Amino acid sequence: MKNMSRRSFIKTGATAIAGTFAASSFLPKGWPALADEKTGGYFEKEFGITDELCRKVLSEALSKGGDFADLFFEHTITNFLILEDGKVNRASCEVALGVGIRTVKGDQVGYGFTQDLSEKAMLAAASTAATIASASGQKPAAKFAPLKTKNYYPVTTLLSSVPLESKLPLVQSLNEKCFSLSPLVRKVMVVFHDQERRILVVTSDGVKAEDLQPRSYLSSSVVAEKNGRWERSGWNFGGRREFSYYTPALVEELAQRSVDRALVLFEAIQPPAGEMPVVLGPGVTGVLLHEAIGHGMEADFNRKKISTYCTMLGKKVAEPFVTIIDDGTVPYLTGSINFDDEGTPTQKTVLVDKGILTSYLHDRISARSYGVKSTGSGRRQSYQHYPIPRMRNTYMLAGEASPEDVIKAAGNGIYVQDVANGQVKIGEGDFAFYVSQGRLIENGKLGAPIKDVNIMGNGPKMLANIIMVAKDFEFAQGGGGTCGKGGQGVPVGFGQPTCLVKSLTVGGVRG
Amino acid sequence: MKQELYDLADKAIKIAKAAGADDCRVSINGERFVEISYRDRRPEGIKEATSRGLQVEIFVNKRYSVQATSDLRPQALKSFIEKAVASTRLLEEDPLRTLPDPKYYQGRQNIDLKQFDPNYKKLTPEDRHSFVRAIEDSCLAKGGDKVISVTASGYDSYSEQVLMASNGFDGYVEYTAFYGAAEMTARDEGDRRPAEYNVAIAMIRKDLPRPEDIGAEAAARTLSLLGARKIKTETLPIIIENRVAGQVAGGLLQAMVGRNIQQKQSFLADKKGQKTGSEKLTLVDDPFIPGGLGSRTFDGEGLAAKKMVMIEGGVLREFYVDWYYGRKLGWEPTTGSPSNLVIPPGKRSVKEIMKDLGRGIFVTGFIGGNSNSTTGDFSIGIIGQLFEKGEIVHPVSEMNIADNHLKFWPRLVEAANDPYPYSQVRLPSLVFDSVVVSGI
Repeated sequence: MKNMSRRSFIKTGATAIAGTFAASSFLPKGWPALADEKTGGYFEKEFGITDELCRKVLSEALSKGGDFADLFFEHTITNFLILEDGKVNRASCEVALGVGIRTVKGDQVGYGFTQDLSEKAMLAAASTAATIASASGQKPAAKFAPLKTKNYYPVTTLLSSVPLESKLPLVQSLNEKCFSLSPLVRKVMVVFHDQERRILVVTSDGVKAEDLQPRSYLSSSVVAEKNGRWERSGWNFGGRREFSYYTPALVEELAQRSVDRALVLFEAIQPPAGEMPVVLGPGVTGVLLHEAIGHGMEADFNRKKISTYCTMLGKKVAEPFVTIIDDGTVPYLTGSINFDDEGTPTQKTVLVDKGILTSYLHDRISARSYGVKSTGSGRRQSYQHYPIPRMRNTYMLAGEASPEDVIKAAGNGIYVQDVANGQVKIGEGDFAFYVSQGRLIENGKLGAPIKDVNIMGNGPKMLANIIMVAKDFEFAQGGGGTCGKGGQGVPVGFGQPTCLVKSLTVGGVRG
Repeated sequence: MKQELYDLADKAIKIAKAAGADDCRVSINGERFVEISYRDRRPEGIKEATSRGLQVEIFVNKRYSVQATSDLRPQALKSFIEKAVASTRLLEEDPLRTLPDPKYYQGRQNIDLKQFDPNYKKLTPEDRHSFVRAIEDSCLAKGGDKVISVTASGYDSYSEQVLMASNGFDGYVEYTAFYGAAEMTARDEGDRRPAEYNVAIAMIRKDLPRPEDIGAEAAARTLSLLGARKIKTETLPIIIENRVAGQVAGGLLQAMVGRNIQQKQSFLADKKGQKTGSEKLTLVDDPFIPGGLGSRTFDGEGLAAKKMVMIEGGVLREFYVDWYYGRKLGWEPTTGSPSNLVIPPGKRSVKEIMKDLGRGIFVTGFIGGNSNSTTGDFSIGIIGQLFEKGEIVHPVSEMNIADNHLKFWPRLVEAANDPYPYSQVRLPSLVFDSVVVSGI
């Protein structure tokens, strides 16, 4: 695959009929390979992007001054394969190719992008970006040093080289499995999504970083009917995964979860409304951390003093058994990155260390303003956007308690199993998330299933109210997590042990 | 550039046909935009670009796919489309996947929808900057010593689109779009920093409010949130402000879409001709509003646009049915997507209505939440103002409403006289009776 031409790349990406599929085994966790094995020189080979050309464009971007400039080249191929009413009858493919050119002056940003990678078009975009500054020109570094990082998502077989003939049976088998599990299942929709994002970041201070970021997921959505009532639910598995991840055993588990989740809704009731103890189950409920604290720790909000957390650095915000991390280094997880979209290597950033607020999430602009190093959190949706501080995989470390004891300690309240649609108001710290699946807790025991409930709280209050953490930590293994900020969506991941929040507002009973 | 786009569309169709496609539909967009934001009285970001994209839908051997690319170099495009046709052949057969019957292309209105601002090309960098500065200045002035941060922004774009289908459809639209916005964060008690924004969007620049008003309103909206707190769970009338009413109406619309009906994910599937709301609920889809953000003479499939009464006096009359799901359901297609949504405005202002209602909540924003299109259940966080006898008592936060659309819309008791013009969802403020608002 190393020497694949641009043309064959598009060919296999768009059609997936060429190339061979070979089942491959995972590299064991903790033994990542180097990132540049499969990615080095892609843009030079395919599009003639040489160091000399980059230097020329960066010179133009700095022609009116500016502290630094960077180029972000992107070639992304995104595929969807969709099964509905028993047939894989819809496919889509999108090719995104372009370069974004940024000039930075203090905290001011000039930005232009073009889909045309010719010298002329790039120079024009660079001269647009340059206008943010108005001084005498600067020169970029004479040499670019290729960035070497670990690879947290090594690929043995490119997703784009997997033929459609291999993907079709996978999608069909999930559909059949879902129908086989219950006579109540009426409709199944299956989606297989895969994406290959190739990026090249070249900065005026001499960094050159190239990466291949794979992403994929397999999802099933199940509609069931019982006594004239209809319910729908679903699940997905994925991440920065290659095709061999989607084994028959995984398909089986995915089908089982999807069907179980739809069927339990027939028994689900509305919980009472009001303030009550809330237990978060392990895994995907980490969305709560993402909303309640993660966004508030993004340094741009703090630099501008508009986050509720902007005066809390170094202070106690939670009990000593609460440690919260934002981490780009978790192998194969959706939010992992080898380096960020500004060319800074990724890291594991501790946001809350044993209850003490320790670090914000920085991009280059905020890092400079705080006089610290970037945490490698500068991310962007695509070449059409400039980077801003973003989360990667956000999670809380495991505690000591058993999950049963946490539920018991809640007394009466609700247990949250799956959530969606989190949102936060950064300044107030008020957040909300939607419980798509959960249970009542009655007298310290799990009771009837609940559904369709919005929960609200306040970030700092919620953190202080985490009174018990269990030892059953899990990462959410979904591949569909996308976080939106400033009109940009980026893939993110979550993790969480079972934990007890003393009180949140539950929007229960219908009017 | 119109001819250039037409030539490209024509070429894409020829390539697809030559590669063996039975039919195809091509859509090409070209856009030029400038976006400027200010903070601390200087530019924070300036962004500008010209972009293009091509999407081609391929119908071959009763199989279907949709493919898009921004790589329009002739050789790359040819290769892309040829591969697209080849890969489509490998999918499973679905005889219902065809281009629409051309009879539905007929009857396209020949009217000027006033979506192109002839003064667009005269816009100078100074015009753009002074517009944003005026927004920032007024927001800072109105916000006064409560201001922690203000970001003001302005945007303008020029777009062209060509839609062409191989069975005899072509359409072209040229439009401009403008917005002005401000976001303010204010000092409050403790560590609370309430933030609120105001944005106005229009297709003709002079249809925007004055920049001074955009900024001042952002500040006023932010200041109104100072001192927010939650109250005890209570059953109250609520007024949902015009600009956010579309979020609740969206839960109804989801259930009116052909795909959701055919896929058994619609609580309205069997409700056509039945009461689904109070007699105050009349919902019109009107594609012909001059300058309307959703105005059009044809939709994404080329179907001629029609004005439709979706819900009339509470009775469900129409669904959003595209060609494919129409064939699956055995129904006539209408259109697959909403244009401009209108609920006829009432006679009284929100202020007058508040006086009559006694105690209630004026909902000015939502947070989190979801609406389940299969069951109609929804639950969502609200932000707003508690009022009593026409007077604002204090703002509320961390509160929720939860209901089911089939029980909620019958409690629509009044529409105010304030349809919101800066959105394709042009709803007035809506008044609902007896809503459980959960808090402490």
